Amino acid sequence: MKRSMRDALIQAFCLLLGLFVVFPLIYGALGAFKTPSEFSRVPPTVFPDSFRNFDNFRAVFEKAPMARYFLNSLITSTVSSLVRLVFAALAAYAFAFFEFPGKKPLFILVLGTMMLPAETITVTNYQTVSALRLTDHYLGIMIVSFVGASQMFMLRARFASTPRALREAAMLDGCSDLRFLLFVLLPVSRPVLVTLFLQSFIAQWNSYLWPLLVTNHDEMRTVQVGITMLTAPEATNYETILAGATVALIPALILFLVSRRKLSDSMSGGSLVG
Amino acid sequence: MRNRNGVRAIRPYLYVLPIILFAVGFVYYPFLKTFLYSFSTVNVKGEITGFAGLDNYAYLFGRREFQAALRNTLVLTAVNVPITLLIASFLASLCVKERPLSPVYETMFALPMAISMAAIALVFRVLLNPTVGFVNHALNLSIGWFEDRNTALFSIVLLTVWMGIGFNFLLFLSAFRAIPAQVIEAARLDGANAAQLLFRVRLPLAVPTVVYAAATNAILALMTNGPIMILTQGGPSRATVTLIYMMYTSGYNSSNYSLAACISICTFLLALCLTLLLLRLEKKKVSYE
Repeated sequence: MKRSMRDALIQAFCLLLGLFVVFPLIYGALGAFKTPSEFSRVPPTVFPDSFRNFDNFRAVFEKAPMARYFLNSLITSTVSSLVRLVFAALAAYAFAFFEFPGKKPLFILVLGTMMLPAETITVTNYQTVSALRLTDHYLGIMIVSFVGASQMFMLRARFASTPRALREAAMLDGCSDLRFLLFVLLPVSRPVLVTLFLQSFIAQWNSYLWPLLVTNHDEMRTVQVGITMLTAPEATNYETILAGATVALIPALILFLVSRRKLSDSMSGGSLVG
Repeated sequence: MRNRNGVRAIRPYLYVLPIILFAVGFVYYPFLKTFLYSFSTVNVKGEITGFAGLDNYAYLFGRREFQAALRNTLVLTAVNVPITLLIASFLASLCVKERPLSPVYETMFALPMAISMAAIALVFRVLLNPTVGFVNHALNLSIGWFEDRNTALFSIVLLTVWMGIGFNFLLFLSAFRAIPAQVIEAARLDGANAAQLLFRVRLPLAVPTVVYAAATNAILALMTNGPIMILTQGGPSRATVTLIYMMYTSGYNSSNYSLAACISICTFLLALCLTLLLLRLEKKKVSYE
């Protein structure tokens, strides 16, 4: 009895703390429904007068090509996450199953990319992308994120844990390596692949500095860049700012809520990488 | 037959080619170029025009803005990392035992990891606004937050700590759950309270996770630039200029590539040293046990 009482108290405490953590998000979403005059009210309120005020959301889509921003973010996040997975899976396959001269140095070469933070090479990468005439291009936005060293590392571990006999049997039946990878290994590794894809997608969807650098045309901006350009830094239309922020975080939020279990389960693996 | 063997010999290389190609082209090559730039004179087109030795570095170290950027970045890192780890490990220690409502509050604690920096920075801009923001009103304060040079950097830390809670919470949760229940039970029987359980039992047993979390957070903090670009543009009066923000403004806005490269290399070296230091610490801690 005493124990269940304690459990109830801890749960209540955790919920309270949880509300405190997510409060900025709630505050932002609620503020997106306010009118400008509600913001100048003293004292400031948290809840809007009406939840039927969609003017701010409408303004976000009218002031800027927000729908186009969404499309840009969706395409670049999806494609770059897929390409990254494909590259990682191919390399992971080679490192897991083939013996070849230079295997170890090449493996270290891939993993070594984790030591070089992307921020420190943005300026020189920008020069490359601009020399390739890829600014204001989907490929330019995506091209710097095709190397997924930690993904390769995890997939190699997953592949290496499949029984050797499985591959040998498939080979005896005349199955090629590529077919084995595509039709046997990848399907049995689906949970890992889904998790890695989601992690990658969320990271891409939320990225800011690089897409900002390589896009100049308004219609090539991504959502994250777009919402920061809705207003001038000193602007006071807070309701529009919050509506933009709310709209921009919804897709990643939904993906996260749907897949939280998977993502957190993969974290135990992630801590091993370090 | 010979041809077939030839194909077989190069096949592994075909599999690793794509990732190697892009690793070289978009990680190692730009890094090498940055390294060379930092010792050269570079024109606005990005062409190396001569060898400069350590002149760029000397010029950089003498600049007021760099001194401010270095100080701000180090302060930000030194404050951000311990606070984030403390909050995240505290929340995780509350969640170790699974209860009926666990999925609800665990999701709440983990949520910040799904939120984009741009979106939450904008929310904080309103939340911490001196006049219309909720925080000043609720706590009955009249703080300028991002607008006051004494509090601006601290406000940035508030934001980056919030952004780091989710990821680190999950990291600690899985580490704490991996500790055998008997160990915790034994400590409880010895009369350990909740704080002792966290600091004397759980964290020492999760040293690899602590080090991993500290290293990733330190690197992230050293690279802070997005919130600065969106919220303060380095101001007021350089109070929030960070290394990467200065790299961005001098490299991209002013096309001073050699200066930007020097800042990149300095930031990289800081990240490297911190990581090595933490790994050393881990070795020491583990060997004592």
